[in-house]
Amino acid sequence: MTDVLRIRDLNKSFGGIVVADEVNLDLHAGRVLGLIGPNGAGKTSLFNLVTGVVKPDTGSITLDGQSIDNLPIYQRARLGLARTWQNLRLFPSLSVLDNVMLGPRDYPGEKLTSLIFDARGVARRQAEEQDRAHAILKRTGLAGVAQSRVQDIAYGQQKLVGVARALMNDARCLLLDEPMAGVEGQAYGAIQRVVRDIAESGVAVCVVEHNVAFVRDLCDEGVFMFAGKVLARGTVGELIADPRLTELYFGT
Amino acid sequence: MEYIVTIIILVGLFVILAASFDLIIGYCGLISIAHPIFYAIGAYTSAMLAKEAGVPVPLAMLIGAGAALVSSILVALPSLRVSGDYLLIASIGFQLGLIELAKHFHEIGGAGGLTNIPPFLIREVGREAYAVLVVVIAALTVWFVRWMATGPYGRMMSALRDDELAFSMLGRNAIWVKVSVFGIGSAIAGLAGGLYAHYFRFIEPDQFGLLASSAVLTMVVVGGMRTTWGPVVGAIVLQLLPQAITFFGLPPSVLGPLQGIMFTGLVLVFMFMRPQGLVAASDLWRGREGGARHD
Ligand SMILES: Nc1ncnc2c1ncn2[C@@H]1O[C@H](COP(=O)(O)OP(=O)(O)OP(=O)(O)O)[C@@H](O)[C@H]1O
Ligand SMILES: [Mg+2]
Repeated sequence: MTDVLRIRDLNKSFGGIVVADEVNLDLHAGRVLGLIGPNGAGKTSLFNLVTGVVKPDTGSITLDGQSIDNLPIYQRARLGLARTWQNLRLFPSLSVLDNVMLGPRDYPGEKLTSLIFDARGVARRQAEEQDRAHAILKRTGLAGVAQSRVQDIAYGQQKLVGVARALMNDARCLLLDEPMAGVEGQAYGAIQRVVRDIAESGVAVCVVEHNVAFVRDLCDEGVFMFAGKVLARGTVGELIADPRLTELYFGT
Repeated sequence: MEYIVTIIILVGLFVILAASFDLIIGYCGLISIAHPIFYAIGAYTSAMLAKEAGVPVPLAMLIGAGAALVSSILVALPSLRVSGDYLLIASIGFQLGLIELAKHFHEIGGAGGLTNIPPFLIREVGREAYAVLVVVIAALTVWFVRWMATGPYGRMMSALRDDELAFSMLGRNAIWVKVSVFGIGSAIAGLAGGLYAHYFRFIEPDQFGLLASSAVLTMVVVGGMRTTWGPVVGAIVLQLLPQAITFFGLPPSVLGPLQGIMFTGLVLVFMFMRPQGLVAASDLWRGREGGARHD
């Protein structure tokens, strides 16, 4: 089992609020890890620390053995780290297709020199990426809304756009922040199937989710977080059967 | 006839300024109003090189554009690394500071302005030829901005405007995109400065101040941001309007402030009554490839 992402002794607090307390965590290729814990446990903060949105106080993170501690967000993404956001963060002035088209690690035409001196090459690569985007939209069940604006489609579909956009990265490690919150109907099954497929293709996946049934069906393993600490690791079944954890989860 | 040619040249220069400014403030969403200072840097650099060093005018103009490019990157890089709003403050500081500095530099004419700038084309071929040159460059600028805005870079600029963090998380270098667009837009303004200097043959620091800033901003807002024809319409309307009021024969002491009030008033009226400007942009980005290849 290959460790794709390795988190060591990670600490972070905002004033008095501790969001990461000596966190040690590994994500393995081809496996889906469920990250559960009550509101405010620090799950989203952990994603923010890993992706470089928030700088840790201490600790280190490696991706495929390479330290990413000093890299800005975009360089981490270019090494194959992709995520979705709890609050979506789609681009409202772009169609579904164009939201997804921004996702490749190496976006054709981002270099001005290539845009000017290799216009043909850029156009060819854009066409390739567009084919890839269409394939991903099909896979996520969004083919029919490719040209729609993201505000005009159902909330569950918007969540899928976030996933599709992250998939364009061809990531080594994919972090999904509450992909099921507010999702019902068709999108539910679609997300589950897609995440499973991604893991099977060798990606290390981490899912934050409050929907316990979803996490149980989907994840190979789970960790329980509380007040910035990783309290337990095991199968999701074991975690939710632990009365100590359920008490922390629901509060008393 | 000379009057009409001069008006055409002025309109053309403002089309270049407005279109390149639209790239910065409209398409890329970078809040800055210091566009005229890069116009000034182009004008002064080109004028001094041609006048004092005998550099051929076309080459001097290109070097002027290069000077605008370099100085705009030097202003933008540190402020954009911090966060968006610093660019506005840093660039205005740079604009006003440089204007004050220029006024105390006698080598470049000081507050009285730089005179006897070598002319270009006018003597050999005529004013009309110069007007053609300016109109061609204006058309190229409009085409270039459209090309940028409807291509892969346009998609990036739209996303960056919407959500910088999500944009970065996809592996896109937000700072680099912003600095590049600011630099390109400013370089084009610098080229316009050279074109101004070698036609009018006189430039002074005060013409590149806040009044010029508000004029260019008004053109973009009134014409319509993020549209191909908006800056063109804006530049024509706002260049002809002040020309029209000069016909009333008002004294210069009234004319200047009156034009300033007019610009500000127009911006306010448009902000409230028609925020999209005369030419309205679509709120959904569309690339030039269309995109309906598959279905
Ligand atoms: N940038 C920040 N500045 C200050 N406090 C923050 C910041 N980000 C998060 N917090 C605080 O840290 C705590 C953990 O937040 P976080 O979003 O990581 O929780 P979570 O586990 O994702 O919860 P939820 O399940 O509700 O999404 C919360 O109390 C939150 O208010
Ligand atoms: Mg959260």
